[in-house]
Parts: sequence; structure tokens; C-alpha cells
Amino acid sequence: MPVAASAIYFLNLRGDVLINRLYRDDVGGNMVDAFRMHIMQTKELGTCPVRQIGGCSFFYMRISNVYIVIVVSSNANVACAFKFVVEAVSLFKSYFGGSFDEDAIRNNFVLIYELLDEIMDFGYPQNLSPEILKLYITQEGVRSPFSSKPSDKPVPNATLQVTGAVGWRREGLAYKKNEVFLDIVESVNLLMSSKGSVLRCDVTGKILMKCFLSGMPDLKLGLNDKIGLEKESQIKSRPIKSGKTIELDDVTFHQCVNLTRFNSEKTVSFVPPDGEFELMKYRITEGVNLPFRVLPTIKELGRTRMEVNVKVKSVFGPKMFALGVVIKVPVPKQTAKTSFQVTSGRAKYNAAIDCLVWKIRKFPGQTEPTMSAEVELISTMGDKKSWTRPPIQMEFQVPMFTASGLRVRFLKVWEKSGYNTVEWVRYITKAGSYEIRC
Amino acid sequence: MAPPGQAQRSSSPSQPSGKGEVSDLKAQLRQLAGSRAPGVDDSKRDLFKKVISYMTVGIDVSSVFGEMVMCSATSDIVLKKMCYLYVGNYAKGNPDLALLTINFLQRDCKDEDPMIRGLALRSLCSLRVANLVEYLVGPLGSGLRDSNSYVRTVAVIGILKLYHISAVTCIDADFPAMLKRLMLNDPDTQVIANCLAALQEIWTLEASNSEEASREREALLSKPLIYYFLNRIKEFSEWAQSLVLELVAKYVPSDNNEIFDIMNLLEDRLHHANGAVVLATIKVFLQLTLSMNDVHQQVYERIKAPLLTLVSSGSPEQSYAVLSHLHLLVMRAPILFSSDYKHFYCQYNEPFYVKKLKLEMLTAVANESNTYEIVTELCEYAANVDIPMARESIRAVGKIALQQYDVNAIVDRLLQFLEMEKDYVTAETLVLVKDLLRKYPQWSQDCIAVVGNISSKNVQEPKAKAALIWMLGEYSQDMHDAPYILESLIENWEDEHSSEVRLHLLTAVMKCFFKRPPETQKALGDALAAGLADFHQDVHDRALFYYRLLQYNVTVAERVVNPPKQAVSVFADTQSSEIKDRIFDEFNSLSVVYQKPSYMFTDKEHRGPFEFSDELGNLSIGADAADTVVPVHQVDANDKDLLLSTSETEKEDGRALSSNGSAYSAPLYDAPASVPASQIQSDLVNLTSGLSGHVPAASLAIDDLLGLGLSVTPAPAPSPPSLSLNPKAVLDPGTFQQKWRQLPISLTQEFSVSPQGIAALITPQALLRHMQGHSIQCIASGGQSPNFKFFFFAQKAEESSNFLVECIVNTSSAKAQVKIKADDQSMSQTFSTLFQSALSKFGVQ
Repeated sequence: MPVAASAIYFLNLRGDVLINRLYRDDVGGNMVDAFRMHIMQTKELGTCPVRQIGGCSFFYMRISNVYIVIVVSSNANVACAFKFVVEAVSLFKSYFGGSFDEDAIRNNFVLIYELLDEIMDFGYPQNLSPEILKLYITQEGVRSPFSSKPSDKPVPNATLQVTGAVGWRREGLAYKKNEVFLDIVESVNLLMSSKGSVLRCDVTGKILMKCFLSGMPDLKLGLNDKIGLEKESQIKSRPIKSGKTIELDDVTFHQCVNLTRFNSEKTVSFVPPDGEFELMKYRITEGVNLPFRVLPTIKELGRTRMEVNVKVKSVFGPKMFALGVVIKVPVPKQTAKTSFQVTSGRAKYNAAIDCLVWKIRKFPGQTEPTMSAEVELISTMGDKKSWTRPPIQMEFQVPMFTASGLRVRFLKVWEKSGYNTVEWVRYITKAGSYEIRC
Repeated sequence: MAPPGQAQRSSSPSQPSGKGEVSDLKAQLRQLAGSRAPGVDDSKRDLFKKVISYMTVGIDVSSVFGEMVMCSATSDIVLKKMCYLYVGNYAKGNPDLALLTINFLQRDCKDEDPMIRGLALRSLCSLRVANLVEYLVGPLGSGLRDSNSYVRTVAVIGILKLYHISAVTCIDADFPAMLKRLMLNDPDTQVIANCLAALQEIWTLEASNSEEASREREALLSKPLIYYFLNRIKEFSEWAQSLVLELVAKYVPSDNNEIFDIMNLLEDRLHHANGAVVLATIKVFLQLTLSMNDVHQQVYERIKAPLLTLVSSGSPEQSYAVLSHLHLLVMRAPILFSSDYKHFYCQYNEPFYVKKLKLEMLTAVANESNTYEIVTELCEYAANVDIPMARESIRAVGKIALQQYDVNAIVDRLLQFLEMEKDYVTAETLVLVKDLLRKYPQWSQDCIAVVGNISSKNVQEPKAKAALIWMLGEYSQDMHDAPYILESLIENWEDEHSSEVRLHLLTAVMKCFFKRPPETQKALGDALAAGLADFHQDVHDRALFYYRLLQYNVTVAERVVNPPKQAVSVFADTQSSEIKDRIFDEFNSLSVVYQKPSYMFTDKEHRGPFEFSDELGNLSIGADAADTVVPVHQVDANDKDLLLSTSETEKEDGRALSSNGSAYSAPLYDAPASVPASQIQSDLVNLTSGLSGHVPAASLAIDDLLGLGLSVTPAPAPSPPSLSLNPKAVLDPGTFQQKWRQLPISLTQEFSVSPQGIAALITPQALLRHMQGHSIQCIASGGQSPNFKFFFFAQKAEESSNFLVECIVNTSSAKAQVKIKADDQSMSQTFSTLFQSALSKFGVQ
């Protein structure tokens, strides 16, 4: 039976119950105690998100300073349960205005109880779409005072909406200025060996949209991905224009995208929800443009001294620049003194994470600043052997650059009233887990 | 309004203040109850919030129940919801008070606002009070017919709730049939989905006592119904889609065309953003194509990309859930994933539970083409990250070495680990080197050179120490100072806490003795003396056994303790394929994460009678581990000589044995039956002649040992009281294993089995049925001719005193070797007699 939850608990870091909701009677009331005893107060915490205690299974997740715990007694659908929690949290966030933490829960607990009642019934997930729920869960968070008018007017309408053909969008929206914002956000994951060869590299990207469009618009998005272009040239029987095409390993779409049409015509067409949403996610492993090359040399000079030289090369266009670049070079625990020379940015030693942290706020393309550091170590008797070197980690953001090379070719908006729209497209590449072994 | 945090802080220091506040609330609520002043709803809201916040932090506010109900007469929907929540929470504990709410809830069920109708109906069904079910039937019936779909979705689940409170009421009111009609006709997909969920639960639970229900359950899987759902799949919400897909996965299509139709229809679901939908689709694909090998493989290829995407997106918890499924698939078909190994590389910051799964997958997909890269990567982990991870990585390298034919490079890597001089790395590596040598004895020269340099003082973990000692014993001729290392270890016998290590020490020193008698003589004497004085039963037994064996004949002792070995070809798999298949059938559920089928963790009563085929492996392993009779030479995968050696232990000296020791060769070499007898003879001659050089020294040593002056007299058996057994004894396997571990062996005997019995013992099952007739139950059995192994148990008729028996029957020698453990030691002799008489009758009638 694919039940997703028998009970759900929200706990703070001390283990106090913030919210609890029992959906089914097949789990006992003292489940929180079991969770506290066997997971929170032991080293088990964080070792595995799925645990069995007695006859019950516990799935837990930490989100900011809150633990969300799901308890089931049957052979439940784990993926569904975790997805439910994630969706529920994003629903709460949209109600609370973006934040989800202990305070937000304490300030909105009545609302959360209301929502918990709506989004799941007897362990089966029901409707989690914020668009629809906001129509009939009218109590806005504490941000705005509630008007005590009876709210039965939009309700019959809403319940029809809940299950209508376009469940994610309500009718009758009107904007003075019709705008679409489209963000392509990519994170590059890299694992490079100490010899400079790429062990693993991929890009996970997502396309985020913000729509302020009137009526029921139909949108069509064209990208420079290989399959889409080939299909298009087939249909229009003209050769593909020269230029870079890229191959997407896999794509997933928001439920608004017509998957049948994507499968047959390879075009992304959809009726968007109102406001902000994630249109699609993709993954690319071939032909990734790495924005940075890191060339470290670390020499251990005897037992008490180390020399660290790191050169970072930006390999994107000279007119572009990266922001918030942070390079973390791990050093041994017994580091006593450090001295630095950098050609750009600032470097310091952070003892809390045992790293040399080199920050460069603005990093232009086609440059290669270096950091050289001398590290003095306290000589210890215990560790006679060399210290195991964790990888160098890097953080950055490169606006207007995509590591995959993905570009938006067009975004067409069609609505029966035929209004004009303004489209805004942005690109940004961030570091996912960017690791260089040394 | 007071956030619950403040409420808690003010009330937690002393509980009475909480009570005071509750009575305060009570008064205030009472005041507001009748008031119709403007703004009264707002003040009610504040009070209600307080009540609910108290309720959440665990303060008992049931005393204001009456007042809450009185205040519920309002049109404010938020107030109503809070009131419903309150009522739902306390009704179960206060059934009398719950009756008060029926009235207003029933009235709200007829409200003109569908929202309120739905909410009231849901609250009504959530009261969970058995004697109020009669009030549910009416509102539920009209709820199902409501014009508003919201009310209908609530009513459908309400019926499921009713079923769980009172199944009879639900069935009598004919609700399942109504649900079925609704499922087939309702325009709203959420209603349909809820109907499906409810009907699945109800009919599954009813199926055990009603044939009609089980027919109905089957009907859910009928073609028209499945197609009805599939054709509308896109209209369902993502959650309902997973529900429907779960149902489709159970459907058996009539022909291949149908399978392809369904897969074509569902293919786009693999692009869905919800991982649960993708996993459910994958399950459908996998289940549908089980019978078509090539297509099944293509499905693996097709689902790879979506799975890898799911793994790399979302929170670590979500990717763990998906990764567990990927893990299952990789383990089923490692070859199909061998080119994707880079996806299983671990990132530095990933949680350990993710890394561990990835390591196992890396191990599984290793083949000739990618081993080098994978092992290089694993070596990084061994050096770089936290200790558990390093250990796992080393084990992974070892596993790959045991899978591969070309182990040259890997052996070098492992030996490099030993040079890292980290205790935990050394410990793990030693265990692996030991296993490796058992499989590839040809590498002994390289390994021994490095292992010889390890100081035994740096090795503390029992497993590693045991491995080192095993190597010292096994390769003592190549390791120059092996006898002296062993000697120093024996000197510290008292400080050695692990019985496993002491057992290994005994065996190793024996082996060493046969190879280098003069140097080891003293150490052997000390070891046997220490072993005989050991408080641990098995250590004591083994020492005694070795002692008597040496006393009897040194040559024989060598044949028993240090026979020529065959390299292990395959190490035993821990999980049977049947269990794996069951987990696979339960794809997209907890089973996959726990890596065991659901019956093992959901309900105990379903664990039921042990199946002979699939559980035996686990049990006998458990039992062996329990009494830690794991003599070193068992690892030579020659279980038969183990059995023999144990039976030899208890043979009284008076038993007739031919003096040249060749009498042993027949049963001992039973196992490698392919070796012709003549060759054995010549082997034997060679061995004896080879040994003759130092036989005098060895026998001299024996004389010394005899000086220990041990006399072992069997304890006089108490006068046997009569014993009757409970014919319907029950003992679950867990308890059996536990008891087997805890209890000492109270009796070990050898019986003869009648020739008719041997003839009848073609399969283990034959004996089981026979013994059952004598009130002796079997809990596990296995083996093949000529050796069968059984675990029996029996219970005394009047009290719950158990007898546990391990019985090994050798059909070629027509002997049964029996170990008895008993709760009541004084009865074991009697039980043994009973057991013998039962056994002797086997096959006679």
C-alpha cells in the first residue's frame, strides 16, 4: 500500500514538538519519544535518513533548524514520502513569505495545521499546489491581519479549480504589463585528480520562470539542444544553422509542460502557473566548459613547514567576470602560523574549517591570479605520517555564462487577446561541488 | 496571541501554572460563548489559538471541551477549523464528550458552503470513536453524492476511515460498492484516485475473510479498469499518478503488443519532476518486461538517465531514496552499468549513507575495462576521508580483487595500504589479504614479505589480529620469525579478550608446530595448557581436541589440522536469490531501502515457518557464528573435514581405529572425491616420509605435553527422570538462534543410523516429517549427500523448557553426530535417549 505517512512531526533541534499530526492510528502516540531516544540523542542522527525502530519506520529530514519526521508502520513509498515533505515545505514557504524555520512555524501553527489537513488525508497525499490551496486556505500567515468577512465566495470556484484540466493556473488573471522572467541556473560539479585529469564532471541545470501574464497564455520555449534542433530541421526540412548544439542527458519538466508534445515534437510547450516556478531540470555530462582551472602545488618542507601555491585560471570570455569566488585550501589541524601573498583578492587562515580561504570578489575572465602561502605547523609526536589531504573546494558564480553552453533561442507567448509581452532571460553558472584533489 | 513557544516557557517550570491558565481560558471561553457582539470572532480566535498551542506542547486542555463546542456556533471558517482540530484530538480519549460534537458536526455537514461540508465531514470521520459510527453512515452517504468534488474526495477517504473504525458498519452500508461506482463514473480525478486507494485497502483487508472481496481485488487488475486509469493518467495529480502506476505494475498484460502499448503510453512519465512518479513508472516497465529478456535490458538502458538525474537533484534524503533503488538495479545487472561508474564517485561532502551505497555500486560494476580507474578512486577514499569511509573503501578494493582475475595491480595497492601505518587501515587490509590468499595462494610470496613486517603490537582489532595469526600459522615456513611472534602472543594469552583470536592462535600454533617443530614445541605446550584452562567453552574444547589428537598420532593430527588446501573459488553470497527477487517485486517501497523484503520488517507473525531452501544459509551461519566454532580450516571451504574433526573430538580412545591412520583417509578425503584412492595413498606416504625427519622431535614434544597430567572424566549422568514432549512446540527462529548462542553444549553424542534410515534420507525433508512424529520439530536443515545438517528443537510437555539439537548425519558412515543444548541441563541425558530412539526408528517401518 503506497501510504506516504501515518504521522508527521515537526521538531526543533532540542526535540520539542512544534507540530504533530497523526493521520492514521497504526502508529502509537509516543513516536516522538522513540525518535528522540533512538535517533536524536544518539550518534545515529545524520547517519541515515530512514530508520526502523520497533515496528515503525522513521524518515527524517532537517530543514534549517527544524526536523521533519514522518512515521509509518507499513511498507511505505519512501520516495513519495520525501517528495511530499519537500513539497510541503515549499508550500509553507510560499505561505510564510519565503522562510521556513522554528519561528515561522511557531508564528503560523494554526495555518500549518490547516494545510496539513488539506495536503494529506489518512496518509494519502492530496493537493499540494500552492496556487490552488491559496484560493481556499485564505488565512494568510501573520503577515497580514485577517479580514473577518466570510470567505465562502471564491470557494465553490476554487474547488472546481482544484481538479480542473489546468490545475496549476486560475482563470481571469490580468496584468497591466505582461512580463516573463527566465533564469537558467546551472551548477557545475567537478572532481579533478591531483594530476589534473577530470575524474567526473557534470552540470545540473534548471530553468526558473516568473510569469506575470494575463489570461491563459500558451508558451513555447526553444533551446539550442541537439534533439530539439534536429527535430525542427526535420519538420521545416532545412539544415541546422551552424552554431553550438548541446546534448542533454536527461530532462524533467514541471507538470504544466505537455510531455506528449515534448516526446513527439521535442518542443517545450506549456501553460504556465502564475508567479514563480521551476520549468525544467536537466543534466549534461558531455562537453562541459569548466569556468575555472585550479593548479595547486603543495610542498611539505620537513615536519613543520608547508608551502602552498595555488594558481586559478578563468577560462571564460574576457568581458565576463565571476562573482564571489572562494577557494578553500585545506591545511593540517596543527597549523600555527600562515603568511600569504596574493595577486588578487584576500586570503586568510580559518582555523574552524582548517582551510586557507582565498576570496576574490570580482574575477575577470582570462586572468590567472595566484596565491602563495607559507604554513608553519606545530610539531607533534603523534601523527608521524603525512596528513591526508582533503580536496581543494571552490565556490563561484559566473553571470551570463553557462557551463553547458545552453542558450534560449526563443520564447513565444501566445494568448487569444494577443497582447505583447516583455521577456527577460538571464544565465548564471554556480559551483556545485567543485573539488580539486591535491 | 501567544506563540506556543512562550506558552511553553511560561508553563514548563511548574505544571500548576499551566492548569491555572487552562481554567482561565475556560472562563474566558464561557464568557464569549453566548456573546454576539461585533469583533467577538477575533477574540475567540485568540483564545482558540491559545488552546491549540497548549494542545501542541502537550498540556491537557480537554477540560475546556464543553466550552469549545459551545463556541463553535460561528460562520468563521478559521474558527471552525481550529475547533475541528481540537475536537479531533480529544474525542478519542473522551467518547462521552465527543457525543456533544456530533450535533454541530452533522449540522455543518449540511452547510451550504461546500468547504464547510467537507471539513465537517472529515472531522466527523476523524473522531475515531467506535460507538458513534452510526452517526457517520448518513453524512458519508450524502457526502458521496454531493455535487461538489471537494466534499466527495473527503467522503471517500471518510469511508476508509470508517472501515478502520468499524469494518462491519462499512460493509453493511454497502459503501465499497458505492465507491466502485464512483470510481468508474466520477468526473474528478482526485475523487477517483481516493476511491482507488480506499478500495485497495478495504478489499485487501477483507480478502482474507470474504471471497467476494478477493474477487473484487482481482477485478481492480482487470484490463478495462487498468485501461480506464491509463487513459486518464495525465489528468491525475502527481501523487495520484504514483498510486495508479503502482496498480498498473501488478497488471499482467495478455500479450507483448499490450506491453509495448502501455510502455509507449507511459514513457513520457519518465520526464516527470516528481521522483515518486518516475520510480513508479520504472517499476511498471521493469515488471511488465520481466519475461522478455532483451526488452528488460533495454528498459535498464532507458531508465538509467532519469534515475541518475533524480540522484543528482534534490535533497540528500531524496537522492538516498532513489540511490537505494539504483543500487538494487546495479546489483541485479552490474554489467549494464559498468560504463557509468563515474556517476558513483563520491563527493567529499556527501553524507556517509550515500557514499556507502556508491561504494557498493562501484564494487559491483568493476570489470576488466574499468577496474584500474575504480581502484585508483577507491584508494583516494582510503587515504583521504573519515575512518568508516576509509574502511569501507578498503573492503571495496578487496571485494574487487576477489571478483577479478587480474589481481596483480590490486595486490600491490593493498600492500601499499599496509605501508600507510594507520591502525584501522592496517586492520582492514590484513583481513582482506587473508581472504585474498585463500583465493589466490600464488600471491603468498609478495604478501607474506609485507605482512611479515607488521608488528603484531600495532594490530588490535580482533578480526585483523585473527587474520594475522592465521597467516602466521599458514605460512610459518616462509615467515622467518613466525614461531617467535606466536610465542609472544601466547605469553599474553590472559590479555587476549577475544575468543576468536585465541581459537586462531591455537590452530596457528599447531600448524606452525608441524612445519617447524623444534622452534614451536614450547609455544605449543604453553598454548594447549592455556587453552585447557580457558574459561571459554570452545577454546577449551579445541585445545582438548588438539591435545588428544596429538596424543593419538601426530601424523593424523597434521592431516586434520593442516591438510592440503584448495583455493576458494567463490565466497558465499549472503542473500539468497529468492529474497532478492522479493525485494525487486517490492520496488519503490521501503524494502529496497532496508534491503530486505517487507515481511521481515512489517509484521512478525508473517515471518512464519522457516523455508528450508532460502533461510537455511542464514540460520546455519548465525548458529556457527554463535558458538564461534569457526576453526581456521573451515575457511578452506571444506566443511566436511570440519564435521569430521568435531566428531573426532568426542571419540573415546577405546574406539577401534587402525593404527596407521589410513582409516581416516576414507572419510576425510570424501570431499575431493575426484582424487583417486591410490593417489591419496601415495600422498600419504609422501607426507609421512617428509615428516619422518622430525617425527622424533614431535613425539618428544607430545611426551612433554602428556606431563600436563590431564584427566577428563565424563560427569556422571543424573538418574533419568521420565520426559514427555509437547507435540505442538513452537519456537521462532530468532529465539532459537539466541538460545543456541547462550546455552552451553550439555551433551555431544554420536549415534548410528539404521541402514533403512540412510536409504530413506534422500532429502532432508524425509527426516523432518519423521522427527515431527516424535514431537521433535525442525527449524532448519540443509546439506547434500553424504552430509546433512539439521537443527531441531523440542519442548517439555508441562513447562516451556526447550531442548535444542544440532544433528549432522553422514550417510556414508551411517552416523549421526548430535549436539544437545538444554534450558534444563539435568534433563538433557533423558532427552538424548529419546532423540536416539526416535532417530533409530527412522526408515524402519
